[in-house]
Amino acid sequence: MSFLTPLFFAALVALGVPILIHMIQRQRTEVIEFPSLMFVRKIPFHSLRRQRVRHWLLLLLRCAALALLIAAFARPFFRSAVLVAVTGGSREVVILVDRSYSMGYGNRWERARDAARDVVRDLAPDDQATIIFFDSGAQSGARSTRNRASLLATIDQAELGAGTTRYGPALQLAQGIFEDSDQPRLEAFLITDFQRIGVDSAANTLLPPGTVLTAISVADEDETANILVAGASVQRDFFSGRERAVVTARLANRGNETVENLRVSLELNGRELESLPVTVEANSSATVTFAPFTLEDTAMPVSVRAEADALPHDNVFHFTVAPGDVVPVLVVGNAGAADANLYLRSALAIGTSPSFSVTVRAVDQVTAADVATARVVVLNDVGLPSGQIGAAITRFVESGGGLWVVLGERVRWPGDDLDLLPGTFDEPADRDGRGGALGFVDFSHPVFEVFSTPRSGDLTAPRFYRYRPLNTRPETAVLARFDNGAAAMAEHLVGEGRVLIWTSTIDTFWNDFARKGIYLPFVQKVVEYLAAYTPPTPYLTAGQVLDLAQYPGAADLDLVGGNLVVRDPSEDRLTVGSDGRAGFIELAEQGFYEIRDTDAPDSAPVVVAVNVDLAESNLERVDPQELVAAATGRVPGDRSVTTERELQPADLERRQTLWWYLLVGALGFLASETVVSNRLSRTELDADE
Amino acid sequence: MHRWPNATAITNGATQPMTTVATPSHGARFIDPQILARIGNLELVARWVVEGFITGLHKAPYLGVSIDFAEHRAYMPGDDIRRVDWRLYARTDRFYVKQFEADTNTNFSVLFDVSKTMSFGSRGVTKLDYGRFLAACLCYISTKQRDRVGIVTFDDDIVERVPPSAKHFDVTMHTLDQMDPGRPGALGPPLHKATEFFKRRSILAIISDFYDEPEKILDAVKPLRFAGSDVIMFHVLDPAEVDFPYDDSTSFQDLETGRKIPVVPDKLRDQYRQLVQDHIRALTELCSQNRIDYAFLNTSVPLDHALFKYLTMRHKLTKAR
Repeated sequence: MSFLTPLFFAALVALGVPILIHMIQRQRTEVIEFPSLMFVRKIPFHSLRRQRVRHWLLLLLRCAALALLIAAFARPFFRSAVLVAVTGGSREVVILVDRSYSMGYGNRWERARDAARDVVRDLAPDDQATIIFFDSGAQSGARSTRNRASLLATIDQAELGAGTTRYGPALQLAQGIFEDSDQPRLEAFLITDFQRIGVDSAANTLLPPGTVLTAISVADEDETANILVAGASVQRDFFSGRERAVVTARLANRGNETVENLRVSLELNGRELESLPVTVEANSSATVTFAPFTLEDTAMPVSVRAEADALPHDNVFHFTVAPGDVVPVLVVGNAGAADANLYLRSALAIGTSPSFSVTVRAVDQVTAADVATARVVVLNDVGLPSGQIGAAITRFVESGGGLWVVLGERVRWPGDDLDLLPGTFDEPADRDGRGGALGFVDFSHPVFEVFSTPRSGDLTAPRFYRYRPLNTRPETAVLARFDNGAAAMAEHLVGEGRVLIWTSTIDTFWNDFARKGIYLPFVQKVVEYLAAYTPPTPYLTAGQVLDLAQYPGAADLDLVGGNLVVRDPSEDRLTVGSDGRAGFIELAEQGFYEIRDTDAPDSAPVVVAVNVDLAESNLERVDPQELVAAATGRVPGDRSVTTERELQPADLERRQTLWWYLLVGALGFLASETVVSNRLSRTELDADE
Repeated sequence: MHRWPNATAITNGATQPMTTVATPSHGARFIDPQILARIGNLELVARWVVEGFITGLHKAPYLGVSIDFAEHRAYMPGDDIRRVDWRLYARTDRFYVKQFEADTNTNFSVLFDVSKTMSFGSRGVTKLDYGRFLAACLCYISTKQRDRVGIVTFDDDIVERVPPSAKHFDVTMHTLDQMDPGRPGALGPPLHKATEFFKRRSILAIISDFYDEPEKILDAVKPLRFAGSDVIMFHVLDPAEVDFPYDDSTSFQDLETGRKIPVVPDKLRDQYRQLVQDHIRALTELCSQNRIDYAFLNTSVPLDHALFKYLTMRHKLTKAR
């Protein structure tokens, strides 16, 4: 017998306590001073310090109880091979079942659950098992249980998920279970379709030595055909003053056979709007464009659904189409100089996401209503209008609007309204020869970020022949400078709004910027930035966690005081924040989530479209042996090393739990001691009386 | 003559059974030592006890013995002719000298043990206090008899010495008053050293608790007799030292050595008492064999009784002469 914490045996000195109690009854700690112990010392020693033990039974009971307690705390265990063998045949079994949506292909899911049931039924009585269902994450049922019924019930209640296959989290969870286990034999069963996409996640996971990992594949040996809706795009236009959307869906055929006349339908609010036949070549893709439909005032749930095949999860693509993704821009120019706005209007007219609604006004024709309806005002070679219009523009900026000031030859700025500008500017300055170019650009700024990567636009290509020197304030952020160091573009924040000043023209008068390819994205990015435009999120992916505070479509929801209720694609209702995380929703299912504030019944619900990760549609398989070898370092089913796993003393002790029996024994002795001592006390009292 | 039926603790060669409590029948006024302990003036204590005691013994034959005529004997050359009884010569025509009962102008010294053990007292009166009262009374009596009184205090060495003198009563009282027990005691070395002080025949009263082996005690005391001194050993013990009345098991600490011993009193009380009695008995026998007077005193017993023992012995001394 060995002991896990033998130091506790130092407490055996406590055995002296009952002996002392028995030997020297009621010995007090106080000391009596006595003139001389000459006579006391003459008395034989035993009569002084050793009293005759009167109650041997009591003494033995107390000593035994203490000894057992100490032994229990020392945590004994047997190293004996026989004992280990008697208790060592049991296994720690972990059953890993893939529940990613690719398991919905054909009857894979049912076969996987049957295989899991078979493993459970084959468990020996002493085996303990854990079932882990995994897709991109992993969840386990009751850990290390011997309850077969519980395990089977867990399998029966399991549902197919919408996530992708990732073996890593599941194997790591199994690794933790094995490391915590005190069973001598470790065995894992991996029941999956062995998609290759999930292998990378398991690269750094190695199960404990001696673990046997058995691969059970439910994938079909034959090539698997699969049609999926790979995505959809929305084109917007206006017809009779109403915004319309045209949906174009892209379909992909991952099979080796052409699929002809596949019915693809467009569903709006759950109702089929149109259905078209599509032929998709083998290992190819095709697009289908549906008839335009008029958008409503709120975001509309739209689905493109292809005719069901063996894997239905990727045959549908959900998204939302919200109206009003248009940025109104007011361009204020000089009267009779329409050409100055030509390039600007052309560049903004091309935009689709967002689209720009450009209104051009001569500086003397601008009205306050024009300013009020715009999100961005462009002062193209004009100064701030005087009077009410200038004040309106100032208020517009201070309340969050965007102002783009383009400095041309005719700009005259009122001296008392310089607050909108990042500085003062001088008369035009010429660049000789070939002109100047942009020498510095702040690519970290949202306007120029799109040009930061290589081959995404050469901002040094435009030549600038004239500009208005800008005398910036020290706190002004200069976003771009010419190669002579003069500011080309600067930003100034006013109130809640933004002001950008461009020190050259945006037509071809002072530069050739408008003739360069980068002009269009530059202008659009400037306007998007000034409009604080945030692109809508038409759909999210299953497995993501939705943060309503960051979701553009949920800006009107009261996340703090509102009573937000979510209806998930399964029509189940749950309260947002019920899991302790306010404003977060775990998107586990494919379909539409509808979030409604029950405290504001008149408000429109927020609709969030959730699609499966299409990477899972790639059913390419990995060799199970390859995955097993990566996870265990051995070939699958190799049991030759199962006995090599040497149980640690702590494992042995935990398995044998001898301390428990010792503790029970000690309590028994103490109970007996109580009974015996009470009886003896009563007997002695009777004798005294 | 009064009889003290239980005063057999005074033994001078007697073999009577030992009784620790002596109860005078009547005639004496007993003063509880605890009451005496409240009186600060030792001389007052001594006078109070002795005179009260003497009053109680007004018919006792012991008083005045020291000046009484004893007998005639024939004149021998060398005798002081002033002692010749001329009246008897006139009648008998022979020279006789007068002899008296005793020479009372003797030296009286107290040898007082002031070791740490003497500071023990379980009933309010320590052995030291009791011995102090006893010594004061003895000195007072001696002074009344015109004896010279002195004192030697000792523990494991001589602590203080007052040579016997007719004028040293006050100094002796002061010395008794100032005694302070504090050190471990031993009989042998100081008593051997004290032998040098008593070249002349004296009466020596040794007051101690005599915690030593009886043979060693006698070895220490015997040299005092070599000069012809009469030695009286007053063995003073506290009742707790005799009866060992403790109940609970606890540790006992030796006052002198500091050593602690866990003791179960219930289990050793009888053995202890027997050992103490054996000790006293052994001392009694050894003293008897060596012609040393021995008196065992229990501090719970009134002081009068101790004085009675002393005077009884003095009487015997005069008788023996």
